[in-house]
Amino acid sequence: MRKRMIGLFLSMTMVASLLVGCGSKTEAPTEAKTETATEATTETEDTQEPVTLTIYAQYADDDTKIPYDYAVEKLKEAYPNVTLELIVQAQDDGMTLNTMAASDNLPDIFQANTDIINSFRETNQIMDVTEVAKSTGFEEKVFDSCKELLYADDGKIYVFPYAGQEYVMWYYNKALFEQYNLEVPTTYEELLNCVKVFNENDILPMSLFGQEGWAAAAMYDTIATRYTQGGIKALDEGSASVKDETYVNATKTMSELVNAGMFSADVTNTNYDQASALFLEGKAAMFLNGQWYIPDATEKLGDDVDWMYYPAQDAASYEAGKAVFSGGGSTSGYAVNPNGEHAQLAAEVAAFISEKYCESKILNGKVFVSQDTGLKAEGELAPMMQKLSDTIPSITSMTKFTWGLTNATFKAGIEDQTRFLLSPQYTPDEFVNEMDAVIGRMNE
Amino acid sequence: MKTKFSIGRLVFSIFLWLYAAFSLYPLIWMVFYSFKNNNEIFVTNPYGIPKVFHFENYVNAWSKYDVPTYFFNSVIVAAATVIITLFCALLFSYATSRMEFKGKTTLRIFLSIGMFIPVQAILIPVVKIVQGLSLSNTRWSLIFPYVAINLAFSCMIYYGFFKGIPLELEEAACMDGANIYQTFFKIIVPLVRPATATLAIYVFLAAWNEFILANVLVGSNAALKTLPLGVLFFQGQFTTDWGGMGATMVIASLPAILVYIIFSDKVEKAMTIGGAVKG
Amino acid sequence: MKKFRSNKLAIFLFTFPALLLFIVFVFIPILQVFAYSFTKWNGISAPEFTGLKNYIRLFTDKVFYTSNKNMFIFAILVTVYQMVFATIFAIAVSDAKIKGRKFFRVAYFIPVVLSVTVVCQLWLSILNAESGLLNTMLRSLGIDFQQNWLSDRYKSIYAIAFVNAWQWMGYQFALIVAGIKTISTDYYEAAQIDGANAAIAHRKITIPLLAETYKSSLIIAITGGIKAFTEMYIMTKGGPGTSTYTLAYMMYSSAFRSKEYGYGLAAASMLVLECLAAIIVINAVFKSNDLDAVKKKKRRLFA
Repeated sequence: MRKRMIGLFLSMTMVASLLVGCGSKTEAPTEAKTETATEATTETEDTQEPVTLTIYAQYADDDTKIPYDYAVEKLKEAYPNVTLELIVQAQDDGMTLNTMAASDNLPDIFQANTDIINSFRETNQIMDVTEVAKSTGFEEKVFDSCKELLYADDGKIYVFPYAGQEYVMWYYNKALFEQYNLEVPTTYEELLNCVKVFNENDILPMSLFGQEGWAAAAMYDTIATRYTQGGIKALDEGSASVKDETYVNATKTMSELVNAGMFSADVTNTNYDQASALFLEGKAAMFLNGQWYIPDATEKLGDDVDWMYYPAQDAASYEAGKAVFSGGGSTSGYAVNPNGEHAQLAAEVAAFISEKYCESKILNGKVFVSQDTGLKAEGELAPMMQKLSDTIPSITSMTKFTWGLTNATFKAGIEDQTRFLLSPQYTPDEFVNEMDAVIGRMNE
Repeated sequence: MKTKFSIGRLVFSIFLWLYAAFSLYPLIWMVFYSFKNNNEIFVTNPYGIPKVFHFENYVNAWSKYDVPTYFFNSVIVAAATVIITLFCALLFSYATSRMEFKGKTTLRIFLSIGMFIPVQAILIPVVKIVQGLSLSNTRWSLIFPYVAINLAFSCMIYYGFFKGIPLELEEAACMDGANIYQTFFKIIVPLVRPATATLAIYVFLAAWNEFILANVLVGSNAALKTLPLGVLFFQGQFTTDWGGMGATMVIASLPAILVYIIFSDKVEKAMTIGGAVKG
Repeated sequence: MKKFRSNKLAIFLFTFPALLLFIVFVFIPILQVFAYSFTKWNGISAPEFTGLKNYIRLFTDKVFYTSNKNMFIFAILVTVYQMVFATIFAIAVSDAKIKGRKFFRVAYFIPVVLSVTVVCQLWLSILNAESGLLNTMLRSLGIDFQQNWLSDRYKSIYAIAFVNAWQWMGYQFALIVAGIKTISTDYYEAAQIDGANAAIAHRKITIPLLAETYKSSLIIAITGGIKAFTEMYIMTKGGPGTSTYTLAYMMYSSAFRSKEYGYGLAAASMLVLECLAAIIVINAVFKSNDLDAVKKKKRRLFA
């Protein structure tokens, strides 16, 4: 009797919860569809009806808050009936967004990158906004150099990108180099000498936030691109093998730099703020970051800071390498949930916001945006920015930041392995073998 | 002999004080931290008193998100979680420790599986179930999963305490004509008060600090967000405002410390089982 | 009396609420974890059944072995540290003769109340290889034991386990304090009459009588070690490279970073099975040392 009761109860709860589970699976999409249909008709009749759209966006530092606030301000004028409800993006490798997608609970507008586009389009959870991009004029305004960032590999548009091409920079403290009579290194030999001199004088040669996988991978990429143009991008696309001599050499070079003491002993758990503080306080001679760091560096270090072309194995490759930059743009930006109540309106709003992001960034002295806003930054460009702008026309080849990579398995693998390579206890052989295994797996 | 004994005591009490300092320093450190900027935290002055007190960290924390609302939600969710968890766990552990039925050990181990699973692994299924039960956008969407997750642990602790109570107690009550419900609520529940007070603290802390589920389940509803979600306003993709984050953490930790002080006093004052048996 | 203890309605009413909530919100999700661990899945689109493939891959994955090794180190270090210190401090604050007991009771618990993020930031700073407080102190004391505490491929797991053990020691401490409160003072009086000093009395009475409490503490410490995640996530991100991965971190990384959700769930399933094995072993060990038997023995001893 006792047993039966427990058994009965167990099976009842199981059945009940399973029913509920199935119910939600089958009902939710149809419900959403009918609602969109009715909404669509009412929208055309009365555009003034107040609408609230949820948006999953970054909103933490000046880089993300200023453009968002600016866009919201402008949105009030252009779409007075639309209110945005912000869900602040968590720094959790997309766990929250994935969970929302898995439970059919995506916000109306969200930030997506290549790897999210690839997984969400399979289940129709990211809207094809090609038409909206045309009708709103978004597509037209995108710079020719950034056009490739607009389209996914199937030729459709899923996101409204606002960031343009971006570049990995080796920043350096001119004053420190002068103080110790050092030339800006062009070859690894010279670089190793700088490393030695700085270490002797208690200056950290290069500050790197190796806690972030992308920074470690970017470091590796700046070396790999000296040996072969493709860098990590070619590995991601499967057009090169990590066992190629070029990659093996790049790996050995990085390992050699690590062993020479180019980075701090704790580089693998140094975060961005720590690494940046070391550089800005004059305790580190070099620093790796994207070009978006130019305003911050200029503000704190003024004329003492500049960026250098990445050193190479010999003078010839150094010269040739001036046209090859690590970094690059990515197909990422605001995307739209096609199952939302007001999906069409959300798409227009997403395009609008992305445009305003570009405006805001231009107004704040950051020139690398995806489209022509017709605006210009006030005052002169920072010298480092000017130098980069002058260099850009001669750049012939770029790679990717890890967030622009297409394969998530490869991305996690290269981030973990390059972080491992930052440890003097890890050998180039181990790196090559492990990366080879990762690449083998991603093609499965 | 006597002097040797007191030297031992002296060394022991020095050790106690040192370890206490070692435990309290982080609290002080956190308060200092909350008044610093990133440069001071990472390079110029990581351990000491802030050179300049950045009160704006608190102003920022207060203005960036609706602290009172988040606070209120946290209180409601944590309190409800504590009450429901302890109620269910008391009943369940009493049955599995002091009543007689087949399969009670299996049932007990079955429930303890809940302690093993990392919340990231069951995140997606839990969210789906919450939606399936139409609990989305209610505080129940947090309370029920929190209760379920904390049950395993609470039941295990109660089980240990129930096992320690002499069986004669209920026999006496039974002879006096009390039924099982009366015995349970009037005699047994008061006896495990030290355990209840301790568990109240634990479950409260677990619910109070929980981030992952809260972010996914109520992250989209400003009216239901809980305090741990406040740190999101300080963590950017690249840079983090550590001082501001310190300020939100000070705001979030103080109530927790208060709860501990109140409940640990309850543990202290609770009568011992030995005393009850004797009386 | 027997009827009293096997009242079926009461058993049902007592166990139902807990079981209902547990099954709906934890057990069914766990079943799904096991089910999906046999699939290739990115967490969103339709899963594809692949049989034992994930498990076969798991057993050939170096990271899986690293994770298991780290899990053992973590569980053992955490258990030993917490059991030893928690017992000493709990006995101390339960002793009426110790001054400042109330203060100690709060102080030892404080790290538990603080957010893990704060604690990890503090230790990141203290354990920093160049500017950290620990290495600076060792240097100024002339002790040649400076280490790359958090970036050594082989040793950093110990430093991380220590941080975890240190933070949650208070948890065990409060549990044991509560356990001691339930011990009758009669036992100690009897011991005193027998002429036993405090240390002997505690060894002979407190610790054996707290067998159940210790069992729980042990389970908490071990499962805590097996499930360890946050410290790695904040301090080392599993690094350098993959050398401080634990099973929970591996699950997270596979499921959400590599988008190999099915594979991540296979790691999670192994984690659950390992915990279950640990709990069964602990139960078996403690069974031979049954509480009632201990009590009877004590009674005879001090009768």
